[in-house]
Amino acid sequence: MSGPVKSAPIADEHERRVTRLVQIGFVAALGALWYLATNVWGMSPILLPKPQGAFNELLDILRSGEFWPDLFLTLAELAGAFAISMTLGLGIGFLVSLSPVYVRIFEPLLAGVYAVPIILFLPLYVLFFGLGASSKIALGATISFYPIVLNTIAGFTSIDKLYVTSAKSMGASPTVLLRYVLIPGALPIILSGLRMGFTVALLSIIGSETIASLAGLGHRIVNLAESLEIARMFAYIVFVIAIAATLNGIVSRLEASRGMDK
Amino acid sequence: MKSGSRVFGFMSTYPRLSQLITVMMFLGAWEIVARFFVDKMFLSPPSRVYSEIDRVLNTKGLLQALSLTLYELTVAFAIAVAIGMAIGLSVGLNAFARRCFMPIILLLYGIPQIVILPLFILGLGIGPPSKIAFGVTHGIFPIILAIVAGVQNLKPVLLTSARSMGAKRWHIMRYVVLPHMMPSFFSGLRLGMTGVLLGVLLAELYVSTAGIGYFTGLFTQNFDPTRLLGLISLLAAMAIVLNEFMRTVERRLSRWRGND
Amino acid sequence: MQDQNVSVHIQNVAHSFGVEGHAKHVRALLDTTMDIHRGELLALIGPSGCGKSTLLNVIGGILSPTTGTASVNGKPVNGPMPHDIAYVFQENALFPWNTIIENIRLGMLFQGVPKSDHEGRARAALKAVGLSEFADHYPGQLSGGMRQRAALARALSLDTPVVLMDEPFGALDEQTRMVLGEDLSELLSRTGKTIIFVTHSLGEAVFLADRIAVFTARPGRIKEVIHVEEPHPRKASFMTSDKFNGLRNRLFDLLHDEIRKTVNLGSGSTGGF
Repeated sequence: MSGPVKSAPIADEHERRVTRLVQIGFVAALGALWYLATNVWGMSPILLPKPQGAFNELLDILRSGEFWPDLFLTLAELAGAFAISMTLGLGIGFLVSLSPVYVRIFEPLLAGVYAVPIILFLPLYVLFFGLGASSKIALGATISFYPIVLNTIAGFTSIDKLYVTSAKSMGASPTVLLRYVLIPGALPIILSGLRMGFTVALLSIIGSETIASLAGLGHRIVNLAESLEIARMFAYIVFVIAIAATLNGIVSRLEASRGMDK
Repeated sequence: MKSGSRVFGFMSTYPRLSQLITVMMFLGAWEIVARFFVDKMFLSPPSRVYSEIDRVLNTKGLLQALSLTLYELTVAFAIAVAIGMAIGLSVGLNAFARRCFMPIILLLYGIPQIVILPLFILGLGIGPPSKIAFGVTHGIFPIILAIVAGVQNLKPVLLTSARSMGAKRWHIMRYVVLPHMMPSFFSGLRLGMTGVLLGVLLAELYVSTAGIGYFTGLFTQNFDPTRLLGLISLLAAMAIVLNEFMRTVERRLSRWRGND
Repeated sequence: MQDQNVSVHIQNVAHSFGVEGHAKHVRALLDTTMDIHRGELLALIGPSGCGKSTLLNVIGGILSPTTGTASVNGKPVNGPMPHDIAYVFQENALFPWNTIIENIRLGMLFQGVPKSDHEGRARAALKAVGLSEFADHYPGQLSGGMRQRAALARALSLDTPVVLMDEPFGALDEQTRMVLGEDLSELLSRTGKTIIFVTHSLGEAVFLADRIAVFTARPGRIKEVIHVEEPHPRKASFMTSDKFNGLRNRLFDLLHDEIRKTVNLGSGSTGGF
């Protein structure tokens, strides 16, 4: 872990504490606003439930364990989608990166398609695969394929030619080159592609559950909205956000620990 | 091996043409699969989608829905840019504000916003306001982040040098900070546009009783892949044109970036 | 009390970075007092982190010293003094989004020169550094040496009695440095400006300076001041003279021990100045 020491400004303890305080104050103010709006200013509970009500609902959801089937389905869809996009993204990305010629031809095509909001394919996938899990998996896989494949290409092409030349000059075989130069060199960028892919896969799966589905966490929220059980819907929203934040946190952690150690 | 290397040679000599051929091959494969292997209730060949695009446009109310979507996009984008710029500048230009609020902004950005979409619809109805609002919340974050990054990456020596030459505060804003953040501002606009597009389309697809979502639902239930693909292609084309337009503007405005 | 001949006066200037008692506290510059005369070329030389750039920034008003004062033309320095001091930085400090001539005009706009004078003065400054033909190029289109010439033109156009240069040629290759050094000697002998410049190069210091202040390793202080006593403009032949070599060797001896000290303790935490 040697290297140039960052000439970071000397942010002392005091300043850090003030920053934290402002942040906590900001969140607390929002919470207070929520409380006041619903309890004192009489905001309609259909638009915004009372915080204490939503909290009780959350406790109830957690205690009853009714979230398990939905959570399990959403996570299974996520796993399926990510497995597909990872396999295809890494594989195709690697193949394309084998020659600058391929990169020049295929990278712009892939990047061009990426500009299309892929959520548009959802109706199509619903037509092909129905309202069940397969359409969600297909959409999640499609969306997360792009950041993975693009970053895989970027990762392999970002490697300094000097490393390759010097490894070859020392007699490295293609396998050795791949194992000890190309993969470690490309890894940080590939990992960040995987992280981005994971995030958008999660998003699109919950999204497609919200828009058109029969089950899953996204569907549960819509159901509650339609039956105007707003407090419980809020509780589910918080629950899903917490799950998403946890998953993203884990993935970012993984990326940081594997990507930075050189 | 011989023919393989000939293909490779062709690809390296004519990359543009190869791209075109790739796209043609994709369309060709789609055509064949759709014509001979898949029930036409599920998939239409591209030739048919193309030749019957007027049938999509003639669908009663669809043109209005499309233009309404475009209107929602425009309004949402304008609002997202205005608010995003205000927040981005006030957070980005002040180190203390940046330390306090950037973590909160990043946290909010990380939330899967789709889960609060039902709230938008409940609060603002199924008309344009809810879709505009949802577009704004999707577009605003990339804009804020781009502006904060744009303000931040300024080489300190440029500020020092401007000050040493007697630059006043507004001189620095006008002649140093502003031109410096132009390129990232525009890439922020482009990413913001992508975000707005996503937000508006999500909301449009979610509301199945009116707008684009109604028609995709209708075509899906009628097993009419021709019109469904036509509509999707139109929307996709819209997205690509918008994106390319923003990219052109971006390139124009950062020409000085030549090779520095 | 101050001599009319003194352009820059440094009185007991010392500087530390960070808060006293903290781990990151660094004493960069110890108590320093010095006078720089009008029209003089003073070189500051020393090992990395010896505080020579710190001293330059104190004079330029970019950094307020922990203790002591600097004054320029009798006025105490409390911040940038655009009418008295122009700066040439080590890095490329040209605005990349402006052409060379726009950069020069912008400097004058900041300084408050009437608009009608901008064009003429900018052209004259470009001519002085031999960049007339590149007025409408962007910095990104020029070589490193040309960029530093342009930065010098910008400083000259500001028409200040004092010019500070922080390793202006530090990032350039040896040949370019030599040519630029010659040009600079020529140019400066004509303008009669007071120049203070920081350098790492022994040759550059001897070739350009009237006096050379040699710094000790951190915490820095002036170890010795060497007088060059060779009229400007100096020709390339000066570089091969015995006098030049004698002074250069003397500098080398003075610096050698100091540099050893920094190299031996400096591989870990310090550096970056």
